Amino acid sequence: MYNTRVRGILIKGNKTYSDVGRDVLRPLDAPTPIWWWVTAGLAIIAMAWGSWGFYNTISTGIGAWGLNNNVAWGYAIINFVWWIGIGHAGTAFSIFLLILRQKWRTSINRAAEAMTIFAVMAAGLFPLLHMGRIWDGFFIFPYWNTRGPLWDNFNSPLFWDVVAISTYFMASALFWYMGMIPDFATIRESTASKIKKKIYGAMSFGWIGNAKSWLRFETAALLLGGMAAPLVVSVHSIVSMDFSVSVVPGWHTTIFPPYFVIGAIFSGFGMVLTLMIILRKLYSFKDYVTDGHLDAITRILTFISLIMATAYMTELFTAWYSGSEYELFTFMKNRVTGDYTFAYWTMITCNAIIPQLFWFKAIRKNIAIVFIMSIFINIGMWFERYVIVVTSLSKDFLPATWATYSPTITEIAAFVGTIGLFVLGVLAFFRWLPTIAISEVKGVLKETTTLKSFTDEN
Amino acid sequence: MKTNILGIYEDEDVLLHAIDKLQADGIVVADVYSPFPIHGIWSRLKLTTRLPYATFVYGAVGAVAIFMMLYWMSVVSYPLKFGGKPLNTLSFIIIMFVGTIFIGTLLTFLTYLGREKMFPGKQVVLPDPRSTEDKFVLVIANTEDMNEQETKHLMKMLKETGATEIKESTVNDHE
Repeated sequence: MYNTRVRGILIKGNKTYSDVGRDVLRPLDAPTPIWWWVTAGLAIIAMAWGSWGFYNTISTGIGAWGLNNNVAWGYAIINFVWWIGIGHAGTAFSIFLLILRQKWRTSINRAAEAMTIFAVMAAGLFPLLHMGRIWDGFFIFPYWNTRGPLWDNFNSPLFWDVVAISTYFMASALFWYMGMIPDFATIRESTASKIKKKIYGAMSFGWIGNAKSWLRFETAALLLGGMAAPLVVSVHSIVSMDFSVSVVPGWHTTIFPPYFVIGAIFSGFGMVLTLMIILRKLYSFKDYVTDGHLDAITRILTFISLIMATAYMTELFTAWYSGSEYELFTFMKNRVTGDYTFAYWTMITCNAIIPQLFWFKAIRKNIAIVFIMSIFINIGMWFERYVIVVTSLSKDFLPATWATYSPTITEIAAFVGTIGLFVLGVLAFFRWLPTIAISEVKGVLKETTTLKSFTDEN
Repeated sequence: MKTNILGIYEDEDVLLHAIDKLQADGIVVADVYSPFPIHGIWSRLKLTTRLPYATFVYGAVGAVAIFMMLYWMSVVSYPLKFGGKPLNTLSFIIIMFVGTIFIGTLLTFLTYLGREKMFPGKQVVLPDPRSTEDKFVLVIANTEDMNEQETKHLMKMLKETGATEIKESTVNDHE
């Protein structure tokens, strides 16, 4: 797909075209494995607890959370930004790598996009919940109302957020679904089960795969991808503006949009790594998601981690160079040292220091260590948002109003519930959908096998 | 009843050479069904798409429409000042930018489905279902008009160009 040459071996094991389809679709026909039921059970328990958290918040109000007058944003916003960041992986993978003409994306993009969808779903729940009166949530949309009609404040980053995230969700979902249409047709034509034929047939929208439909398909995919690419940058820039347009020390900086975007891609790639290692282990996809793929992701993570480190240092430098004592206090007395030292240094360690171990080939080759490091990145990125949200709010200009924040059990429940939702979504994807883009892998298969026999001969 | 002759190939490069040879011989290749997109087929079959123009129009119209909406709501319908900023502000750009993508993406997808006449639950019969798996199916249309000699020549050409299987089909939805 998308006319370019491949570099290196992408698919191992001398696969034929029908092997690709068979391998990818095997888990769909196999009986549901035990690990699936166990994980799904845990996810449902997490969701049940999360539902209690949601119920408690809605029935009691935001008072059920540990927020106070000063720290008005807590877990909800931290988790919202964290999930949105994770959600950036799919689009970054599918679209940036598509534009950069990186063929190795073909084995990974489908799963990364699925992750995006479920992560954005999880993220979207938090602002909704944070509204307090959730039943008035529709007030956020500019609709013809009886109060004037009174419209939204279109200068508010919070409104931009609503527009950006709903657009992001819609665009990623369409792109993801569209990519699956030819694969649904493959299932429709190859399955022996009548029910599956019906369901996947309906989902394939009557795909025939002749020359013209492939032309339109590829053109439409490129167009959707091209339009979604600026969203990767704009969504998290807009999220960062929720903070940076305020005057709170530690938030009011121009570095925020690029810093947030790169952080989002960092956490997204981290989560992709976590997920792909699990996927290739469970479904024996080692020929498709090769060590080379994982190696490429770790190299990217090393690079992004350096950018993150630069951003952290720039923040500190700017705080000092600005001459603003409030900025300096926030960074030096309330982050690097002070009450939130643990959160700050966890963030630095996980995001800027640990990924530097990827410089060593021995570590990149050791999948177990790579897996653990990818988890550390996810933790580090959560702490980054914690540091940003909580430290700045807890001690601002007026010492008399300083307050501390700790989450209540309700907030923790809601967070765990969204993790359950994400896991259950990913499990459903693993169980019922083609986890690797079959038609795209077939498209690069020949080039990479020819390359292989070429390298074997020489 | 209309009949097509299908030449079934195993490899995309063999297929591309086959199309060249058949076309050089004056045989019209009506269509090709393949498990993945093959670059090079479209120029050979002279296929083009105007989808990008449609997307451009959607984007342009969308951007203007969203600006008009924002302007009307903030300046005409209910001019309410926020933070002393002008009613018609530069920050409209952000919503226009994202809204343009929203409209462009959604309408492009719908146009794509419309042009392909695709919808949820549509039933189709493929000339050869293996074309979604690993076979490349070349279609020569309306062969019932051919005389015996032409048909024989066609069969020979298909075999010579590397078709592993040749068969007749009455499925006729390649147009």
